[in-house]
Amino acid sequence: MIVSTLRAIYGWRWSVLPPVAGVAVMAMVLGALLVAPREVVEGDVQRLLYIHFSSILAAYGAFAIVFLASVVVLWRRDLRWDAVARGAATVGVLFTGLTLATGAIWGKPIWGVYWTWDARLTSTLILFLIYAAYLLARSMADELDEQAARFAAVFAIIGALDIPLIMMSVRWWRTLHPQPIVLRGAERPALPPEMLIVMIVAFIGVGALAVWLGVLRTETEWLAKRTAALRAAADRREGA
Amino acid sequence: MNAGLAVVAKDLRLAWRDRAGWASAGAFATIAVLTYSFAFDLATGDIRPLLPGVLWTTFLFASIFAGGQSFARESEEGTFDALLLAPVPATVIYLGKATANVIAMLVIEFAQLLLATILFDTNLLSPELLVIVFIGTVGAVALTTLLSTMSASMRGRAMLLPVMALPLLIPLLIGAVRATGASLDLESGTAPWTLLLGVFALWSALLSVLLFPMAVER
Amino acid sequence: MAPSGVTSPIVETHGLTKRYGGLDVVRAVSLALPAGSRTALVGANGAGKTTLLAMLCTLIAPTEGDATIAGHALRARPAALRRAIGVLAHQPMLYEEMTPLENLRFFARLYGVTDAEPRIEELLRAVGVWTRRHEPVSVLSRGYHQRLALARALVHRPAVLLADEPETGLDPEGVEMLDELALRAPGLTVIAATHRVDRIGAWATGLVRLEHGRAVEDTASVAGART
Repeated sequence: MIVSTLRAIYGWRWSVLPPVAGVAVMAMVLGALLVAPREVVEGDVQRLLYIHFSSILAAYGAFAIVFLASVVVLWRRDLRWDAVARGAATVGVLFTGLTLATGAIWGKPIWGVYWTWDARLTSTLILFLIYAAYLLARSMADELDEQAARFAAVFAIIGALDIPLIMMSVRWWRTLHPQPIVLRGAERPALPPEMLIVMIVAFIGVGALAVWLGVLRTETEWLAKRTAALRAAADRREGA
Repeated sequence: MNAGLAVVAKDLRLAWRDRAGWASAGAFATIAVLTYSFAFDLATGDIRPLLPGVLWTTFLFASIFAGGQSFARESEEGTFDALLLAPVPATVIYLGKATANVIAMLVIEFAQLLLATILFDTNLLSPELLVIVFIGTVGAVALTTLLSTMSASMRGRAMLLPVMALPLLIPLLIGAVRATGASLDLESGTAPWTLLLGVFALWSALLSVLLFPMAVER
Repeated sequence: MAPSGVTSPIVETHGLTKRYGGLDVVRAVSLALPAGSRTALVGANGAGKTTLLAMLCTLIAPTEGDATIAGHALRARPAALRRAIGVLAHQPMLYEEMTPLENLRFFARLYGVTDAEPRIEELLRAVGVWTRRHEPVSVLSRGYHQRLALARALVHRPAVLLADEPETGLDPEGVEMLDELALRAPGLTVIAATHRVDRIGAWATGLVRLEHGRAVEDTASVAGART
């Protein structure tokens, strides 16, 4: 059932996903700029909230997929899942980077600095580093190298299981050291209805965009493997 | 069981025979500590707060560097295949390599602690600190051994290994530095750092033992 | 010439296939080799000989199909299968910093050989490395590596020897020793990939030719026992 859902989503990659993602993202941008009210304390830069928060959620979703796909790679030895993992990891790294960047842009006027070593930011940065390392490791191996795919899958699994430990240790580390600047959280206790609507639109838009990019990237990875296999077959026929 | 001991003995013997490689790791660690001394002017001023950080970053880099090269030989010589062909469970192969690596690292670290004790006039050889170093080493080496096995056949593994290992080892680094600091009376606050360190070491060892067979099965 | 007896095959493969991406490196190879047979595995470079041997050794997992060696199934009981085979690969698989004696002692312990010392001496003498048994392998020449690799492969008295181009690096004297100890040894079943087609008549009882991963010629399998 899961596989048939995934196949369906894969089938939508040129039909349903692009328009949904396009329309929703445009709606998000317009909504963030025009519909959502100007936040009293932080001003216009707070409008980055919608893309910032949606991006990190999309990234978490992507990394969850990397973990699950890696488990399947080890269990089933099916390299198609390796393509899925790489596609999801690319999306995850992209959107984590976007989160950190929008966070920095937001932070400068509010906190006075682009970066602060608070627990959440630091953990997010480490997450970025782990999956960037995963992509680096995959890119340095041959397309058809099953062994390298297994290794990367093991690394992705260790990385995912390490995340709770990382978050815990970083939080302990930072709470014992008083912050130089008092931080206010990114969430509000309750969003006014206009902001809530824009937020939901943002979830849909960024989510659809993430899924679409992930599917495209997965397809690219799989085609690269097929091409490598065909090239190797042609070489053999030529008596190399 | 006999086969298991044979593997551990073999790895210890190889570590000894290949001591030039480990000596390079030791030399690297020494140079690193000395470099920090010049960079941070550790001889003057109140250097003690920096010491745990200096020591643990050095230990981690040395363990990544040394672990990588110790495995590269097995891969190049094809003897790793010979081990996989033997009727020995993959776990035993891993434990042999990991044990030899832990022992070699402990020797290097002890030498660094001795050096730092002398250079910085701080007793780094207390039992409490030695236990912390032991636990931290087990935790770090478990992961670096697994990762170096995996990356042995990859191109560019020398740069790849630290990039892959260090983010995973951050909880260990945080815990070990703070625990070391606490044992030197440098830390305030009441987080149970040694507990964090112990938990990480246990997690790292268990996970590596479990995943190694899956990683090397073809 | 395949023997016509009704002996059950010691090496059986059923549709053994290895696929990388879309590329079939070994395609549905089914063999049934009787005990004591000596099979030459031939084919051009890239025909799949090494991959087939690697699957039989359990070093590579097959994509499809299964195999049985000495009654142990590849997929189900790989560890038991490994005890029954000796492997002579492209690389000698020896520890360079250890001496021949240390290498063989280690492998003997790994395989649980009970009469290790006499067996090791017997083998080292037979391969002509006995006089140099205390020197690290790194100082020995390539020919000696190959001889020592043969000793390593046979130390645990395997039922089946899997060899990938074993004549490589051996001088004529070494080739004679290879024949005596392995390729024509009584009681040993051999599957050897080889390019030395001229020599096949000297030792082989049957031949399997691979082309693009398929077995296109097979005079080694026992007729009727093949699936």
